[in-house]
Amino acid sequence: MRTLVTKLLRFIVVIIAVTFFSFSLIKLVPGDPVNYIIPFGSNAIKAQLRHDLHLDDPFFVQYWHWLRNFFTGNMGRYYGTSFGGGVSVSNQLWKALPFSLVLILYAQVLALAVAIPLGVITAYRAGTRFDGASNAVAFGFLALPSYVLAFFLAIWVAVKWGLLPVSAAGKEISPVSDWRYMILPTISLAVAQIAVYMRLLRSDMIATLREDFITTAQAKGVPNRRILFRHALRPSSLTLLTVAGLNVGALIGGAVVVEVIFALPGMGYALFQAIGAKQYVAMQSYIAVIAIVYVVINFVVDILYSVLDPRIRHARAAA
Amino acid sequence: MWFRRRKRRSLESADRFPSAPPDVPLLEVDSAQTSFVTDRGTVRAVDGVTFSLERGRTLGIVGESGCGKTVLSRSVMGLLPKHNVVRSGSVRFEGQEIGNWAPDQMRPLWGTQMAMVFQDPMTSLNPVMSIGNQITEPLLYHFDISSGYARELAVALLQSVGIPEPDRRLRQFPHELSGGMRQRVMIAIAIACGPKLLFADEPTTSLDVTVQAQILDLLQTQQRERYMAMILVTHDLGVVAGRTDDIAVMYAGRIVEKAPTRVLFSQPRMPYTEALLASIPKLGDAAHSRLATIPGRPPNLIHPPQGCKFSPRCAYVQDKCRVEEPPLRPGPEGKHEFACWFPVGTPEGRAAFESNKKAGVAAVEARLGGETVPVEGVS
Amino acid sequence: MPEPLPSPAEELATEEAQEGLPVDAGTQEIAAVIAVPGATAARRRKKPFGVGAWLALGWLVFVIGIALLAPVLPLKDPINWSDPTLKLQGPQWGHILGLDQGGHDMLSLLVWGARPSLEIGFGSIAIGFVVGGTLGLIAGYFRGLIGELLGGLFDIMLAIPAVILALAIVAATSASVTENTGSHVTNVTIALAIVSVPILGRITRASALSWSDREFVLAARAQGASHFRILWRELLPNVLPAMFSIAVLGIAVAIVAEGALAILGAGVNAASTPSWGNIIIGGQGNLSEASHIVIEASIAIFLTVLSLNHLGDALRARFDVQEARI
Repeated sequence: MRTLVTKLLRFIVVIIAVTFFSFSLIKLVPGDPVNYIIPFGSNAIKAQLRHDLHLDDPFFVQYWHWLRNFFTGNMGRYYGTSFGGGVSVSNQLWKALPFSLVLILYAQVLALAVAIPLGVITAYRAGTRFDGASNAVAFGFLALPSYVLAFFLAIWVAVKWGLLPVSAAGKEISPVSDWRYMILPTISLAVAQIAVYMRLLRSDMIATLREDFITTAQAKGVPNRRILFRHALRPSSLTLLTVAGLNVGALIGGAVVVEVIFALPGMGYALFQAIGAKQYVAMQSYIAVIAIVYVVINFVVDILYSVLDPRIRHARAAA
Repeated sequence: MWFRRRKRRSLESADRFPSAPPDVPLLEVDSAQTSFVTDRGTVRAVDGVTFSLERGRTLGIVGESGCGKTVLSRSVMGLLPKHNVVRSGSVRFEGQEIGNWAPDQMRPLWGTQMAMVFQDPMTSLNPVMSIGNQITEPLLYHFDISSGYARELAVALLQSVGIPEPDRRLRQFPHELSGGMRQRVMIAIAIACGPKLLFADEPTTSLDVTVQAQILDLLQTQQRERYMAMILVTHDLGVVAGRTDDIAVMYAGRIVEKAPTRVLFSQPRMPYTEALLASIPKLGDAAHSRLATIPGRPPNLIHPPQGCKFSPRCAYVQDKCRVEEPPLRPGPEGKHEFACWFPVGTPEGRAAFESNKKAGVAAVEARLGGETVPVEGVS
Repeated sequence: MPEPLPSPAEELATEEAQEGLPVDAGTQEIAAVIAVPGATAARRRKKPFGVGAWLALGWLVFVIGIALLAPVLPLKDPINWSDPTLKLQGPQWGHILGLDQGGHDMLSLLVWGARPSLEIGFGSIAIGFVVGGTLGLIAGYFRGLIGELLGGLFDIMLAIPAVILALAIVAATSASVTENTGSHVTNVTIALAIVSVPILGRITRASALSWSDREFVLAARAQGASHFRILWRELLPNVLPAMFSIAVLGIAVAIVAEGALAILGAGVNAASTPSWGNIIIGGQGNLSEASHIVIEASIAIFLTVLSLNHLGDALRARFDVQEARI
């Protein structure tokens, strides 16, 4: 119980620190932020904006205002006329965030669905030709940048064979009903994860299969499939799940790139556009939201962890 | 679940494995050999073992660690990995040859015909599976019963192995139980499907001394109540004393002496057995009396010594022993078999011992409880 | 079941006690069988570098070599020389790797493009190695408040996805990004260096934490050795292997990240400084008619990353690095 409270406190501190960092970013920009936001505005408009953003206040006061607005959903709006002028950042965010989360979910599910059976079978058949080939292929995919894979998938599957749409540019698409748009991005994102997960699970599985309780299960006359998936998989999956949880961060990063390549209306694309259009106010919020999502997911993974493995739960209780 | 789609057998057909005629022993092992292929050569872990066992009887297999006793029991049960392992010889169960069966053929037998209790209950139970699921698993797999009924059986099993509050235990995980309790759970799992043959592989080695006797008693009562044959593998002669019908002493992959328990303890013939017995401390010994030891170490099984494998450590060793390996043969008393050219308690043996004593052979001095002279390995 | 598991050499190397045995038979008994006198001398101590590792090393030396020698190699100028009539053409006499969409020679683009890619990869990790290593070492050795604060700092920095963090730093520090002309190699290097600091710092901290409990550190402390001396002479040599193996993998990640930043518009300026990443990005628009541009640059990245990954793994196996799962 005490560890849970400690974790919760830690979580809150990290959330505050992350928002502080996202906020401070704008301070890294050389010169007056207002000049970047509305370079061609009149002095009166600039002064008004400076006041709206509390830029004349001391740094921490600015942060406090920003944080309060951020958590109440008042994240400001896009400025200028060039790109989405006047659109509320939080509106944009509420459309983009679910999209990215669904994309990451798809990629994670695909990666685990392929990697778990592969990892189990390669561990079971360790040392065989199948195992060797799977490992070599996985190692190769680890060295293949996801954007290269995305380009080739786009050109062959989408353009040359015309099987799937290439880009969602300018379209309002839903990640669920317009699933045809999601297939190539999901594959591009998932492939490298499959390699990572498979290799992790394989090495943990090999260690588990040497355990005495596997021999016990064998001596019960239980079939191999059941031993592999019921007895060996769960004790072996701890590292995999931790890494899968931590990897959500890597996936968010990967999703940004993939969303830009396929022009999907997610967080990454929105952030990309915000940076391109010098929308610093939006950029601050996007980065903060991405970081918070990441921290929350890690927190949940950490809690799930202790539920999953009674040994850990036990060790925590004893500590 | 997809893996539940399997052929289920009814309760009665658990005995579908054909029973042999009454005069055929339950288990017959004939010149069994098991070798491991390693980078450094072939390890002959079991090197020509022959014995038989009838239902309702218990056999103790005793030897130092590394003598092949665990490999023997796993080999008989077919629980060894198939890669880099070479098995030969014959294993007949209920009169049927199973020595060359693949794991898939053996699987219906595991649990229902033969089962095993392992050495370390800390590591032999799945840490992330509840006790209840671990006990009902073989029941559900082997018999066509409902999971509710399986849980009832599990409660009854836990009760019969002496675990209090069995209902509550079913929901617990292994780490919530003490070592002794876990070994009781292991026994419950092993006997769940009513096997005819139970292997107990060092069942008490990793337990507290106070618990050891309880577990051994439990194994004994279960064996009698269920009319099982039992093979009790141990390095500790004290464990088998008075608990088994027969004892086989193993050394370097071979049985070197086999006799009814009482006979073996009173009249050991093989010098190795005698040395093992002498190394057990006795209540009658004076305080601070030096224990007899066996000098040296078990031999290298990749390049075993020529002749009798115990010869480098033997107090009775003669030139013949270093050249020619003695066969396991019955002595004059009939059921007592041993593999020795100069058996203990015979005129030849006494003469050999005396001549070695004069010559100052190290093993004699260690045997007499004198200063231990280290004899370096045999390689 | 697991009838199997004649485990591969890498698994066995760590299992010296039962080396060469079928792993499933891992009873103490069999371990005892193997641990007979005379046999122990034959056990392998360290896994030797295999053929793969030498090939990997060879490729890296080659790439670094041509990158350094680019100015003296007989190559066409990658920026100023161009022949628009030949643009997008595949391999031919005079242009063995073909030409890009601007009619530049692909061979010289790739050779010159290796320079910013390697500069960013090695440079950012070198900075991260020194800064993250120092902070991690200090955090691991001085526990208490300093250790907790530095550990917390690493956690917070790691709480932002690496690509996002790098993108944000490049975007915020490089004014030219806002003019959409791409940024300078130094900006990208610094951004990726900042990203790598907490990663290397955390590894170093964990490693230093476990080493600073060892007897030899206590002994040095008992003899009155200064903190600096203990850090420098006792801890650092033991922590270095873990740092090195992660750093080598980090170089690979940084080289790939350079391309990712280019896609996001925060990469190195393609017009003035061709890099492997921006060659790929530049060529992807013509992927269907001139796929050689993307393929050639991808192969360069692929082989380099493959080599670095392989070397990192080999180092990790050789030094038996435990906390390599970040």
